[in-house]
Amino acid sequence: MNTTTIENKASDFRKIDKLEPAWLYELKKNAWISYNETPTPNRVIHLWRYTDPAAFTVNGDNNLQNISRTTTEGVEPSPAFLDPSFSKTGIVFKDILSAARENEEITGEHLGGLVGSDFGKFEALNLALWNSGLFLYIPDNAIVKKPIHLLRRPVGPLTLFRLLIVVGKNAEVTIIDDYSGESNNNDALVNSAVEVYAGDSSNVHYANIQRFGDGIRSYATQRAKIGRDARMYSLFGGLGGGLIKVNAGTILAGRGADSRMQGVVFTDGNQHFDYHTLHHHRENESYSDIDFKVILKDRSTSAYTGLIRIDEYAFNCQAYQMNRNLLLNKGPKAESIPELEILCDQVSCSHGATMAPIDPELLFYLKSRGINHDDAVKSIVSGFVDPALNQLPTELRKLIRELLIGKLEGGQDD
Amino acid sequence: MTGNNKILWVDNIQVDVEGKKVVRGVSLQIGRGETHAIMGPNGSGKSSLANALAGHPNYTITSGKASINGRDLLAMDATERALAGLFLGFQYPMAIPGVTVSNFIRTALKARNGNGDSSLKNFRRELKEKFQLLEIDPSFATRYVNDGFSGGEKKRLEILQMAMLKPQMAILDETDSGLDIDALKIVATGIKSSAPADGGVLLVTHYQRLLNYIKPDRVHVMMNGKIVRSGGPELALKLEDQGYDWINSETPQEAGV
Repeated sequence: MNTTTIENKASDFRKIDKLEPAWLYELKKNAWISYNETPTPNRVIHLWRYTDPAAFTVNGDNNLQNISRTTTEGVEPSPAFLDPSFSKTGIVFKDILSAARENEEITGEHLGGLVGSDFGKFEALNLALWNSGLFLYIPDNAIVKKPIHLLRRPVGPLTLFRLLIVVGKNAEVTIIDDYSGESNNNDALVNSAVEVYAGDSSNVHYANIQRFGDGIRSYATQRAKIGRDARMYSLFGGLGGGLIKVNAGTILAGRGADSRMQGVVFTDGNQHFDYHTLHHHRENESYSDIDFKVILKDRSTSAYTGLIRIDEYAFNCQAYQMNRNLLLNKGPKAESIPELEILCDQVSCSHGATMAPIDPELLFYLKSRGINHDDAVKSIVSGFVDPALNQLPTELRKLIRELLIGKLEGGQDD
Repeated sequence: MTGNNKILWVDNIQVDVEGKKVVRGVSLQIGRGETHAIMGPNGSGKSSLANALAGHPNYTITSGKASINGRDLLAMDATERALAGLFLGFQYPMAIPGVTVSNFIRTALKARNGNGDSSLKNFRRELKEKFQLLEIDPSFATRYVNDGFSGGEKKRLEILQMAMLKPQMAILDETDSGLDIDALKIVATGIKSSAPADGGVLLVTHYQRLLNYIKPDRVHVMMNGKIVRSGGPELALKLEDQGYDWINSETPQEAGV
């Protein structure tokens, strides 16, 4: 692409409305330029080895700016937000555009800082044109006891979800970021970006649940940056959709930061899931642990790549990573690729992967107690994922269990 | 099918594991209220016999017959055998990560009795009683089955399951191995109080010491895939005293059951 075209594209970039702050317009316009400048990822690039980027490219780029700019469509905040005590506590929850006007300092400092235009082509597109954006701010020392449950649904053939969470120092919060919805034309594309900033000594639980209908293709990037002595727990549950690519990561940016991440993914039918996780240790004595579990059935495929990066001067870090794949029949294919970039020599680090069918000895053990084959499989699969699901509120946990059981009972075994 | 008056009736069965013959024609008859013991050195085929009777898919019964309460055992899969009243106490119990002891036993009970049989309250009370009987800490109810348990804890949990599931015929495969003397007494007490009066128990063991606490009605000695001696409890004492070599030196004889 030559320079003239880019400039044209940039000058073409429309303001959302007259009230859009100049900084936001600039941020979005630059993202739009990046999006147009950046070529579609090449499949030889390691993160694209397992999934064709063409699945997430948007056809008819010229019309892209016409997608809905309604920023809160498809969002159902839980009743927690109706709680009048919320406003008194200084908690802010609103669409990003309103927040950019009314909470300019916080949004201006954080929006696009973790998942921005330099991240990649699809991330740049999201920042330029998100059409379902939410902002959540938890002030210093605030303790939110009730989980905040965000229900998010696609708003059309192309939905660009965006979520910005800023948690203050010493604050505590649990956020359930719950994506669901069928697609009308069975070919909807979803692109989501999530940025989480967790202040020093904060305690943040973030659960990302994806339970889209079959036809949806979804590309998602999530980054959390956590401060000194902060504790972050993140859960990625992947159940729905047809073609799913997720890049999730936590940057341990403060001394003693602690990040635990769990994945629970169940693919069946012809689903293709491609998950990448990152734990990036930038400071001393930080601790990370990933336990990523994949259940595969029918002819589905899963690729998991997990990167642990420890910077040169991040001493005495501990980083652990485990990826377990449970194959319920002979049809599915799973890949598991651990990646380590350890630049510091004073670390404690381990990684492992398993890929196996249900152990016939274990199956026999349950059967020998009078439990039939199907119920034995159900028990073993539930046991495989329950320790992670137990982190969720009861209702959501029940719902996900039902989805899992539905997947177990549906389809065909060989 | 014969053996109607017996809990367990085994007639000349042979067992293959991965094409290798490990049990070469064993017959057994265990009557109501009887406790039998099968003893023998390592590799004699006694555990293979136990696993084959319980329906382990790797142990193929190539010939012979077996019944439980007069019902053809070999026509059933492992689940059906359990529901017919058979119980195998495992030599190496499996860990089931993510499944709590309480949930596991309740699932097994539901498989037997359907959903309506026992209230959660009754279940919990009974579980608590059996924990006390086997001197297991109540916190084990919410631990994952055998996950991180010591060898002795696993064996106690096997007997706890037996006590909760109340099988007609319990085959206990080396339940005594790896237990210290105190644990052995507790487990023996558990077995004695859990075995139904009209049921049967088959103790598969390497050593005689469990039989100090549970007196068997019959003792069978198994070597090279066959029962080479059968007798009363005194046979176990003789084995304890003299080992297995004296049997080797004598002419093998078929089981005189």
